[in-house]
Amino acid sequence: MSTKHSKNAARFLKDKEQVAWHDQTLWMVRAKRDRLGKEIPEWEKLRDAASAIKMYSNSHLDTLLTTFEKNAVANGAKVYWAKDADEYCKIIYGILQQHHVKHFVKSKSMLSEECELDPYLESKGIEVVETDLGERILQLMKIKPSHIVMPAIHIKREKVGKLFEKEMGTEPGNSDPTYLTHAARKNLRQRFIHADAAMTGANFAVAETGEVVVCTNEGNADMGTSQPKLQIAAFGMEKIVPDRRSLGVFTRLLARSGTGQPITTYTSHYRKPREGGELHIIIVDNGRSKILANEEHRKTLNCIRCGACMNTCPVYRRSGGYSYTYFIPGPIGINLGMLKAPLHYYDNVSACSLCYSCSNVCPAKVDLAEQIYLWRQDLNKLGVANPIKKLMSGGMEYLMNRPKLFNSTLKMAPLGMGILKSVGFQWGKGRDYPSFPKESFNELWKKGKVK
Amino acid sequence: MSSREEILQNVRRAIHVQYEMPDLTELESISQKFPDKVQKFCDVMKAAGGNTVILKEGEDVNEVIRRLYPDLKRVASNLKEITCATFNPDEVQTPAELDGTDLAIVKGVVGVAETAAVWLTQDMKERALYFISERLIILLDKEKLVDNMHDGYKHIDTGDYGFGLFMSGPSKTADIEQALVFGAHGPREVTVILY
Repeated sequence: MSTKHSKNAARFLKDKEQVAWHDQTLWMVRAKRDRLGKEIPEWEKLRDAASAIKMYSNSHLDTLLTTFEKNAVANGAKVYWAKDADEYCKIIYGILQQHHVKHFVKSKSMLSEECELDPYLESKGIEVVETDLGERILQLMKIKPSHIVMPAIHIKREKVGKLFEKEMGTEPGNSDPTYLTHAARKNLRQRFIHADAAMTGANFAVAETGEVVVCTNEGNADMGTSQPKLQIAAFGMEKIVPDRRSLGVFTRLLARSGTGQPITTYTSHYRKPREGGELHIIIVDNGRSKILANEEHRKTLNCIRCGACMNTCPVYRRSGGYSYTYFIPGPIGINLGMLKAPLHYYDNVSACSLCYSCSNVCPAKVDLAEQIYLWRQDLNKLGVANPIKKLMSGGMEYLMNRPKLFNSTLKMAPLGMGILKSVGFQWGKGRDYPSFPKESFNELWKKGKVK
Repeated sequence: MSSREEILQNVRRAIHVQYEMPDLTELESISQKFPDKVQKFCDVMKAAGGNTVILKEGEDVNEVIRRLYPDLKRVASNLKEITCATFNPDEVQTPAELDGTDLAIVKGVVGVAETAAVWLTQDMKERALYFISERLIILLDKEKLVDNMHDGYKHIDTGDYGFGLFMSGPSKTADIEQALVFGAHGPREVTVILY
């Protein structure tokens, strides 16, 4: 009866050294986040403000999106609306086809992962080059990100060394991160220069100015968009913020929460097309209006994709991104997966100890753990509740309503536990069974032993 | 119905409660201030892997730059006060020609002490210069330092070119085993000269 998550996690857990490294490294990022957050006395007020701005923005999406569109068009951009992944892919392909694009550079965009853009374009004969170092490594390895901000966190340097030896002709056996990073810099520099078009996602889209804002540390978004004349930016519509003033709040929170830096190296505002160039902006729904209609879960739209909930999650840190069945792992991924297709992704809701740490670190105050709890209440309704757990809780209910039976059963409990243990009861796997005291509280109370 | 109309209709149907835009005035007024903005800016820049130089009274910026980088061959700048440049980046035909620039010298508009981020409004033909150069020097008036990002955003503009950015230190990545490496794609070294 194990969930897919626990089965996948078991695979990840086989390499104990790697698990310990993964756990400690992400915890180090979380600790950096704490240190930087604590330097700011008004930190909690910032989180409140970020949450309130998102609640405002998402409940005024229609007006903010049309304002954005109006301003972007006035800036000289072309604006498109895509209701789903299919339309998003087709719009992008249409633009590329119209401009006879063969070489296409991309900076990291979780939206493009969500909509599976790369395989779509490749099937149409367009060469797509991911330019974020982590994404490029994964693309060459033909695997998926395991974290939304640190996509290749699960890959060891030796593997990157071997990969670059083959792909970029680096020295055999050299897996020094500086050496490898600079080899990729040299290699990708040529890709940037010879690209026919460049694409980015967006961290923020500003209604007031019609500009998109992209935050990176590497500068890959900027290297890309400053070479070819054709630029495409696409964003999920919850990325909208009303004005630049709001960015004062979000830029103080984003990198501090995600990677433990005061700010990302580059916070770039793309407002107009380059001289003689074109700027195409795509606004994407792909299920977001459905989330907006869901009162219990609409706060997931507050998410600014910083990754803090992953770094803090004790389950994520010890099970890795691949143990989850949705492409976004960790607490936010559990929730987004359920909103996408509950019957497909319900396995992930058990990948949570309900410690609520995610809710406490989220810069935009998404109530992540509270929502996971709600989803668990829905499992029975969805017809996917674990039958053993259901039986157990049904049994407990029966006993709790019958005090006499409860007390006599309690006496048998140590024996019952022993039997379950000996038959290898599923629920007990990986858990320590409790040791029972000689006398129950009830008995102690009756004998006056409880002071 | 177009996708645009369909999306907007779905959004309108989905919204039942409209939340107010929060008043940010109080947050902005209580946000971090620094008695010595120059010191804070320099400290944060150092942590971000960048350098700062404070220009002394009567010192020539070109002299300072030559002292910092005595042996560079291709030095780009379109600033009038920069005489140590070897070429004007506005004279290139394509941004690709800027590849191989050893050093670019540009002007910052406003600097933010809490994040060591400097706002750059594109004021040259190709914005690629900010990113493609191996090293970057940003000239910034000390008087243009503000405390925090709230104040920073009050002073920015994307200009005629419609592009600007906050830049904080050199390009970096930690994508291989979280080991910090400078010079992922953009400049490997960034120095802010405060005058």
